[in-house]
Formats: sequence, structure tokens, C-alpha cells
Amino acid sequence: MTSVQRQLTTPAAQAALLRVDDLAKSYGGVHAVAGVSFDVPRGRITGLIGPNGAGKSTALGMIAGAIKPSQGSVLLNGTNVAGWPSHKIARRGLARTFQQSSDFAGMTVTENLLTARYGQRGDTLRGALLGRRYWRAEQESLTARAADVIARFDMARMANELAGSLSGGQRRLLEIMRALMTEPEILLLDEPMAGVNPALGERIEDYLLQLKQDGLTMLMVEHEMAVVERLCDPVIVMAQGEILAEGTMEQIRSDQRVLDAYLN
Amino acid sequence: MSLAWSFYLSTVLVYLGVDVMACWGLNLQYGYTGILNFSFIIYQSAGAYTAAVLTLGPATAGSFQQYIGGANLPFPLPVIAGGIAGGLLSAVAGVIALRRLRSDYQAMVFLVISLIATAVVTSDVGLFNGPAGLSIIPQPLSTALNLSLVGYRWFYVGLTAVICLIVYAFLRLITSAPLGRSFRAVRDHEQGAAALGKNVTGLRMTSFVIGGVIAGISGAVLVEFISAWSPGGWLYQETFVLFTALIVGGTANNAGAALGALLVPVAFLEGSRFLPQFGPPGLIDALQWVAVGLLTLIFVWFWPRGVLPERRRIIKLPGLQQAGTGRPRPVDYEKTAETR
Amino acid sequence: MFVHAIGFGIVTAAVMALAAVGFTVQFGVTNILNLAYGDVMTASAFVAYVSHSAGLNPWWGMVLGGLFGAVFSVLLNRFLYTPFIRRGARLFTMIIVTIAVSLILQNCLQAIWGPDFVSANISAGASVHVLGMIFTASQLILVAIAAVALAALHGLLRYTRLGKAMRATASDPELARNCGVPTRRVIDGAWLLSGLLCGLAGVALVTELGSFDFTTGSAFLIPVIAAAVLGGVGQPYGAMLGALVVGLATELAGTYFDPVYKDVVAFGVLIVVLLIRPQGIFAEVASQKEVAA
Repeated sequence: MTSVQRQLTTPAAQAALLRVDDLAKSYGGVHAVAGVSFDVPRGRITGLIGPNGAGKSTALGMIAGAIKPSQGSVLLNGTNVAGWPSHKIARRGLARTFQQSSDFAGMTVTENLLTARYGQRGDTLRGALLGRRYWRAEQESLTARAADVIARFDMARMANELAGSLSGGQRRLLEIMRALMTEPEILLLDEPMAGVNPALGERIEDYLLQLKQDGLTMLMVEHEMAVVERLCDPVIVMAQGEILAEGTMEQIRSDQRVLDAYLN
Repeated sequence: MSLAWSFYLSTVLVYLGVDVMACWGLNLQYGYTGILNFSFIIYQSAGAYTAAVLTLGPATAGSFQQYIGGANLPFPLPVIAGGIAGGLLSAVAGVIALRRLRSDYQAMVFLVISLIATAVVTSDVGLFNGPAGLSIIPQPLSTALNLSLVGYRWFYVGLTAVICLIVYAFLRLITSAPLGRSFRAVRDHEQGAAALGKNVTGLRMTSFVIGGVIAGISGAVLVEFISAWSPGGWLYQETFVLFTALIVGGTANNAGAALGALLVPVAFLEGSRFLPQFGPPGLIDALQWVAVGLLTLIFVWFWPRGVLPERRRIIKLPGLQQAGTGRPRPVDYEKTAETR
Repeated sequence: MFVHAIGFGIVTAAVMALAAVGFTVQFGVTNILNLAYGDVMTASAFVAYVSHSAGLNPWWGMVLGGLFGAVFSVLLNRFLYTPFIRRGARLFTMIIVTIAVSLILQNCLQAIWGPDFVSANISAGASVHVLGMIFTASQLILVAIAAVALAALHGLLRYTRLGKAMRATASDPELARNCGVPTRRVIDGAWLLSGLLCGLAGVALVTELGSFDFTTGSAFLIPVIAAAVLGGVGQPYGAMLGALVVGLATELAGTYFDPVYKDVVAFGVLIVVLLIRPQGIFAEVASQKEVAA
């Protein structure tokens, strides 16, 4: 059986929303990621950690379609999306945040949220030319939904501020809110706590736990061990392009290979 | 109003209308979608040449100007054809140039495309009569209406205004729809836009081609008025004037673009016509360009967002207490978008 | 005819190499696409012209032109480009700024010397036959000057501290700064060197052409950029190779096809390189870098 055929045959595999198989990326002769395989189970926050240069962000980039894999498969709900352009993968229900916030700085918070949903009526040339009457109703319901999201994340004060004028942490929050507007199946977070002040960081953690309770699946690359400990289960450790260990945080912490990797 | 004044003012107004449309087209590409289209002038030229050729009638063997095609189409067909020509040429250029490339390289690619196009048109005499260009192009409806010389000019001013309104209405539909937001998303963070499922290349092409169509229409409207068009008058520097207009007037909003068109190509450049002629021929021309360059530098330094900066779009959210409708803090959002 | 064209091509390539190496050194170190470069060439040519009209030996004009280019470029960066960058200008804004400078410079030259062509006034000298190609004495001198200048540059880049610092800053400005490379001085040095080569190239260009006007330098700029980008931005030896390729290609195209296609060949090379392999042949750095100021 090929690795791809191995997929939906075990109960464990069926519980995985995302299945990465033998995914690799090399630049010239350098192996940034050397054939990694792991599952991202439904409804949990999976952590992806490791020292600098471990290949975590590259792996994330390959899953999201920003980087073209050299080999391997990425099964999202059973469909192999490896090598697809990122906008096509996004339309399949994968949302992501970026290390340096990807919010649209020239638009307000509300506009950022409104532009998130794919397939809006007024979003094609034909739809736009058909005029307000064609797309207005849908926009109104989207606006109501945006209002809900804004209220939930306590951003009402900033609703009509330009995203570029928000603080770093607020922009990170906006990115997450925007991802939610797409009603994703899975949310990829690339170092969400980097550069965020601790108070706002705590709030973001609370929101992420709430989302987990709502049933959202997440894969999070993160540096801060404390955050990973509080939020993630399972945790995958990468180093030098390969997976060192997988398991709960306690298991990871007592794994000798992991300790070696971090100490080096 | 004296005859000379009437003549002059009507001419300025037609130029204003044409420049306003051109600025709107470039604004859609650059202000809304972030495309550094330094080749804009060639789509205007494409529209002008197409309209000219379709108004002149087929080229006869002995005539003093040679060109391809030719028909005697009534107004407004040549203008529409001009728009289509602008759109087609920009589709070709877009396929070549609209890809992930650092912004200054991309600007260079567009610049070089415009240089190639100019070189081709200038050297291939059979195409559009080479460096001499086309002339004695009949003005639309002039025989049908049988107006006086000045009367016709004012009629054309009205015609230009109507076409401007149509173009404006069309643009409004696009930029006020969710599509306009998608353009701005591509401008602000293309990877973020892709992560939301937006087809960045497709959106860029759409904006680019629409801008090209508008450019073509503006060229066609102008050529039907001034009855002549040659490659030497439409070089890459003209695109630079339009960019200056956008910088001065303000990007990503149609009012700013229109204001820029009024201030830069019209008021600034036409205004210098009233200076007394001094110095050798060509001196005033040269100084005009120096002034445009200085104007650009001054605005980029002091008021990079222009006189009418892009305004915040405030949306009423049902059932929420909102603050934040006061004076917006200035944001250099381009800085964050550029660090990719 | 072929051999003739090659001969022309070599002279053009020599002049282009001077300009392209200057361009690539500056672009590589500072990451600013300076579209006013060609007009500095023209201005330097006018400086030489003025000195010649004042009675100086034309080859002195070359020295003065080179010095003018060097000083002007450093001042241009210090007082215009750097302030804009400090203010937060991005790559696109800088291109607008450099185009504005180009227009201002070009048209100031036109305002002063008028739109007509002026003669470069260097006698061609005796004909010399080399390998079946015919050169004039002054052409050979130009090629020699180019060779000497480039050899000197090679020495500087290889063996001096400034040269090494420039190479380091070109490949990784952040790292260079963290290693204590005096970036400010290195940048000044880059502009000075590049400006010197630019000035020399400007005078050499008009010497080869015989007559010039206020647009001559900027018309030459695109082939120069094509050569620099082909060889790899920031790679001086690449720029020399690129100049050879572009110089020969344009001359051959001009001989066998319409002379106007000379330019189109250069444009074509530039576009193809930018679209297919923007890092050029000798790529070291492919990614987006910050502007160094």
C-alpha cells in the first residue's frame, strides 16, 4: 500500500483532519524539511515546536500552499492538496495566520473581516457590475456576522480603525478573527504570540481555548514553551528538518532526544 | 468671451476630462491594486491609434500616411474600439509582467515594455505611420452637426464630460462592491489575500485590464479631438506625470485622482503656457519637466498621501457601541506591506 | 561584416562594462534602483565637454568627468536618497524619486545646453588593425582605460578593507552591520566608486559616439541595467560578462537588422532576465533585501 492509500483506513487516521505524509523541501542541496509525517487530530490544538531552523515554518508553509513541497502529500479531509496554490487550499477550509501579521493595513478592522469570506456575490466582475441590489443582502448578513465576531473578541472600540494603526497584538487578534470569518475547518497559527504583550497574549490564549471548545482544529507553531504547555495537545517536536518526537507535553519534556536538540 | 479664450478653455477642458479618466484608470491599477504600471501610456496610445485608424478609413496606396486596418466607423464605435484595444494590449502585457517580482523590478519591466512598444511603433512605418504618426483625423459628428468651429469644440467638451460620467459610474460600481475590497487586499498583503482564498493573479489581471480599457477610451477621446497622434508625444515620461498627479491628488480614491489630474497635467503644465516666452525654444519645456520632477519630490517628502488621502470607510455595525470615528491617526501602511 | 560588428561590439562592451560595473556595485550595496544613473553619465560628459571647450586636453576631460560623477553621486545619495529612506520610503517610492531626479537632471542639461547635439570633439586618431577588425586609436584607448579601471576595481574589491566590507554589505547588510562593518562609510564608498565609473563611462560613451545630447546617457541606461542584471546584481564580474554579452548582441543586431533593434535587443534581454531569473547568472542573493542607508 502506498503511503497515500494508508490514509483513511484506521480510526485514528479518520480522526485526523490533516494528514502529512513524507513531506519534504530542499533548497539546492539543503534539506529544510526532510520527509516528515504526522497527523493533526480533529478538535485539538496540535503544537509544532523546535529550535530555530528546525523547519517548522517551512512545514507550515508547505501545508498552507505558500511553499511548494519537493515531495510528499498533504491530506486535508482526505484530499491531497500538496503543491496546490495557497488560495485553492484556503478555499478548502484551511485558514492561517502569518509570522508577520497579514492583516490589510489600509482597511479598517470591519473591512478586514468583511473581505475574508470567499465567494461573495459582489466579488466577481460580473457581480460588481450587477450593482448594489445584487450583493447588498449578502453583505448585510456578513456585516452582522462581523459584528458578532467583533463583539466576541472585544474589539468594538477599534471596529472602524485602520488595521495599520492597531498594536502588534491587536493585529494578530484581527488576523485570527478574520480567519474565523471564513468558517474554516482548520486554523494554522504561525507563532501567534510573537511580539504580543503578555496581557493581550493571555486574552488570545483564552480565545484559542474557547475556539477549541467550539470544535475548531488548530495547528500551532510556537516558541514560547509556556504557551504550548497551556494550549497544545499533542505536541510535535522538530529539529533540523525531521520529527524528533510526538506526544503530550510531559512525554516530550522527558524525551532525551528533545532535550539534546534544545541544548544544542 | 473672446474667440481665442473660448478656443483655449474648451481645449483645456477636454484635456482635463481625458486626464481625469487616465488618472482614474491608473488609480485603479496602482492606488487600489498596488500595480506599479509604468507602461500606462501605451494603452492610452493603443486606444488613440485604434480610434484614429477606424475613423480615417482604409489607407490608400498614394496617401501620405500608411497604417494597418482602417474603416470609416461612426462615433462612438471608434472610442469603444479604442477601449477594447487598450484592454487587449494590457492583457498581453499583464500576462508577461504580472507575477511575483520585487516592486522596483516590476516597475522596470513595465517601463521596458513601454519602451519596446514605442520603439516598435516608431520604427514600423506600416503600422501607424512611424514617427510622423497619424493626422487629419476627422472629428466625430462634425459634418452631421454642422456647428461653428467654436461651437463644435464646446459640443466636444460636453461629449467628453458624458464619457467621463459613464467611466466614473462604471468605476464606482466596481470599487464600491466587495471586488474593490479584494483589490485593496491584494495591494495590502498579497499572501494574506491568497490565504483567504483570493486568486491574486486573477484579481491583478482584472484590475489591470479594466485600467487598460479606461486608458484606451481616454486616448480615443483625445485623438478624436486633436486629430493627430504621434509616438514622440506619448513617451514614458507621460506616465510619470500621471503618477505625479496621483501622488499629489491622493491615491485609492477617485476624487483624489481627479484632483490630481486637475492640478498636475492641467493647472501645472497648461498654466505655464501663460508665462511669457523667454529663452531659446525648448527651454520652457525643459523647465516644465524640471518643475514636475521637483513637484514630485516635494510631495513625496511632505505629503506622500496627497491632498485627498484615501479615506477610511466607516461601516455601521448593527447593535454595537462603537467609538473610533474621530480623526484617524496617520498610518504608513505601505511600510508593512513592502517588507515581504 | 560580422567581424566588423564584433569590433564595434567590443568597444561598446568596454564602455558598457564600466557603466554596468558601477551600476551593479551601487545597486548591490545599497539596493536602490537608481534610474538617474544614465543622466549622471550625461552630466559627466557635459563636464568633459566644458573642460574641452576651455582648452584642456580631451583626456583630462575624462578624469574630470569621472571626478564629477563620483562627487555628484555621493552628494545625491547623502542629501536626497538617504533622507528619503530614513523617512521610511519603500522600494517603489525610491524608484519614483530616482525617476524624478533623472527628469530634473536631464532637463537641466537641456535647459543649459539646448536640445541639439553637441560634438564630443575627440579626434579619432589613426586606424589600427587587430585580428581583422579595424579600430581607431581612440577606441583602443577607451578599451584600455576600461580594462585598467576594471582591474583597479578588482584589486580594490579583493584586497582592500573597503572592498571586502562592500562585498559583505552587498551579500547581507544586516549581518554586515552586526559584525561592525561601518555601513555608512561603505555606502559612501560604494556611491563614490560607482559614480566614478559612471562618470568615466559617460565620457567614454560620448567619445565613442562622437556627438551627444541631453538624452544620450539615459538612452544607454537600459542596456547597462540589462548587462548588470544579466550578470547578477551586485556581482561586478557578472556585470562585465553581461556587458560583453549585451554589447556584442546589440551590435550584431544593429548590423544585421534595423539599427533600431539594437535597443529592442537590450530591452528584451532585460525583460527575459527579470522574468525568468531575476538574480542573474552569478546569483548569490535572490531574495528581497532591505534598502541600505
